Amino acid sequence: MSLSTALNIAQNSLLNSQRQTTVVSKNIANAYNENYSRRTSIVSSLAPGNRIAEVRRATDEALFRQNLNALSGWTAQSTIVNGLDRLNLAVNGVDNATSPATLLGKMQEAIQLYSSTPSNRTLGENAIEAARSLVRSLNDGTSQIQKFRAEMDSQIALGVAELNTLLAQFQKVNDEIKLATTSGREALDAYDQRDELLSRIAELVPISTITRANNDMMIVTADGMTLFESTPRSIQFTATPIFASDTVGSQILVDGVPLSPGNGANTNAGGTLAAMLQLRDDYAGGLQAQLDEVARGLILAFSEEDPNTPGSFSAGLFVSVDPSVDLTTADRKTGLAGKIAINPDVDPIKLRDGINYDINPGLPAERHANFTGLLNKFSTAMDAHQTFVGADGSSYEMSLMNYSTGAISWLEDARKNADYGAETKSALLVRTAEALSNVTNVNVDEEMALMLELEQSYAASAKLLQMIDEMLETLLSVVR
Amino acid sequence: MKVSFVSSQAISKALQYQTQKMTSDLTKAQKEVQTLRVADVGLALGARAGISASLHREVSRLSGLIDTNQLAGSRLDSTQVALKDLTELSNELMAALTTAASDVGDSRIIQNQAESVLSAMTAILNTNLNGEYIFAGINTDVKPFNDFLDPNSPNRQAFETALANFSASNPMTGAEMETFLDSIEPMFTGTNWDAWSKATDEEITSRITLTETAKTSVSANITAIKELAKAAATVAALSQASLTGEARQVLLERALASTGVAVSEFAKQQGYVGVTQKRIEEANERMNMQIDLFELSINDLEGIDPYEASTKVTGLMTQLEISYSLTARMQQMSLLKYLS
Repeated sequence: MSLSTALNIAQNSLLNSQRQTTVVSKNIANAYNENYSRRTSIVSSLAPGNRIAEVRRATDEALFRQNLNALSGWTAQSTIVNGLDRLNLAVNGVDNATSPATLLGKMQEAIQLYSSTPSNRTLGENAIEAARSLVRSLNDGTSQIQKFRAEMDSQIALGVAELNTLLAQFQKVNDEIKLATTSGREALDAYDQRDELLSRIAELVPISTITRANNDMMIVTADGMTLFESTPRSIQFTATPIFASDTVGSQILVDGVPLSPGNGANTNAGGTLAAMLQLRDDYAGGLQAQLDEVARGLILAFSEEDPNTPGSFSAGLFVSVDPSVDLTTADRKTGLAGKIAINPDVDPIKLRDGINYDINPGLPAERHANFTGLLNKFSTAMDAHQTFVGADGSSYEMSLMNYSTGAISWLEDARKNADYGAETKSALLVRTAEALSNVTNVNVDEEMALMLELEQSYAASAKLLQMIDEMLETLLSVVR
Repeated sequence: MKVSFVSSQAISKALQYQTQKMTSDLTKAQKEVQTLRVADVGLALGARAGISASLHREVSRLSGLIDTNQLAGSRLDSTQVALKDLTELSNELMAALTTAASDVGDSRIIQNQAESVLSAMTAILNTNLNGEYIFAGINTDVKPFNDFLDPNSPNRQAFETALANFSASNPMTGAEMETFLDSIEPMFTGTNWDAWSKATDEEITSRITLTETAKTSVSANITAIKELAKAAATVAALSQASLTGEARQVLLERALASTGVAVSEFAKQQGYVGVTQKRIEEANERMNMQIDLFELSINDLEGIDPYEASTKVTGLMTQLEISYSLTARMQQMSLLKYLS
């Protein structure tokens, strides 16, 4: 009975066109959804007639993985760039206006001006004011750095919480996919969701994935720590609410193993978590170390000695508010930049003649108003070599003035390298994202063309049905 | 099978990314044109940012030094004028002493001359500039030189005491005059000079370049002033006393010798001051040159070529316009328009 077979086939064709139209409309609906993978309907020939065997997602494992890596690298790098910008602005100010280096220069000038007319009280007040703003810069710099560290720490805590949530969601979706695969159901939307979750996880930590039987997916970090295997692993972090210069921030523990922070300004870190660890510990910590050393150098340069005991030390214009700090040894005093202060006893006369030991040569009869010995000594001491500890912990012989500009170089060098890294990494991300998008996303024009085909095919099938109907009619009318 | 597939998303994203990048470049270039400096100095210089910061600092420090050198310079100028006046005074005294020694004449003339030298040198040595006594050494708050003509001043009193305690025949003989003059010598050359002057021996030391210091004042305790004071004071106080002709001769000759020393010492001192003035002048010149050089280096580090910068802005603006019109046209390009 070939006429009824033809009828069947035409019917089947109508059904196929309808199903394919569903796929096309779904594609068009998601044309601008990044996380959607284009669906293709595969039509296979089976007797009698064609039928849709399955609907497939366009995927590319390799490109997807590459894109995840690029995403991790870029988010880490942009975190570093933004963090360094903020640190630079908070500590050094616009055009280094509030940097200790600039204010040291201003102070040296003020001392020089005072030494030209030491009998002028106003110039002395001016020099003390310059010293005061230098101290303020060091104190403010310290509090800004510690505030920055505390903020990084709380953001890390948020990031860890988000990662835990994402992994929990991942478990649900992964379970759904496993179940669908074993029971032979279609779960394409779940795959989309899983890819989206992977991208969001990759923004936090660098990951790679391993697909196992029944499309079960396992997530490990770039370092090889397991984040997810059937169930999410616990990621722990204890936030520190308040940071002082000597506070050590806690580590992120993935399954009990600490996550390593990034290294270098063009960072090798992936994901924001490692980058924030690096900012909190390396950069903020390094900057603090340099401020502390500037503070120590300053106290030393302006220190006084007992004229009867050459080589003795007592803090002069600059003092530490914490008397327990031993200033006689040449090593970093953690947090000194936050503790440095102007000697409360100072006035222009004492600045000129000595605060602890009045060494004006005119005494005891009367003060010599143009005594410049001490002032010139201070100015020379700022340019004299001292032993300083750098951000990396090694010692350098250089002057206070040079050390302070070295601190600017250190930070700006990091900024420059970070910026360079951000440029290359963002370019890489744009390329991989574009390549991935070209493979997995929708082209509206193509879908429209496909729709035209489907329309034609639908019209043809309908026409066929009508024809067969007429033929059957003719046949039946003969019988009648 | 498709030869190459382009997703609609990739097309719009590519345009978006390009436009974003150009816009951020444009804001940077705009800032550069306005300030003629690189938009972000730290980012552009990296590790060399410290050099630029220290150059800025040096320039401002050198300008400060040049300013304070003006101050030291004007002090030295006043000192130089004062030394010239003092030399003239010495010369006048010397002429008067010579005349007085050659003929007996009226002893009042030479006394008047000596007194006027004393009052003039007191006025000169107590010159005040910007609230500082320039001959006071570093004790610039205190008027350095005591007026011998004031009967209550310590130098006058010390002299009168010494004279009263000296037992001599009347009139004083030449030998007695010698002894007396020898006995009052420590009043001028020894520690008793502090009855005359409150100045310190130490003179003002100023930093005239980043590494160099110089003595930028002259103290009232120099030999020339002591000798002149000795000559004028002895003549003023003793020439009216009752003296033998021999004693008077001894007095005048000793005064003449002292004045001679004073004249040559003043000349030496003027030479020293002149050398320091020259040093300051040269230091200023050198520092001005350094400032020019540093500013040149700063410009090399941070400056930009204004022509290049404005070309860049124009180029970017053209590019952006093309990109905008391209975006608009590509958005219109859709199969949808042709389907009805």
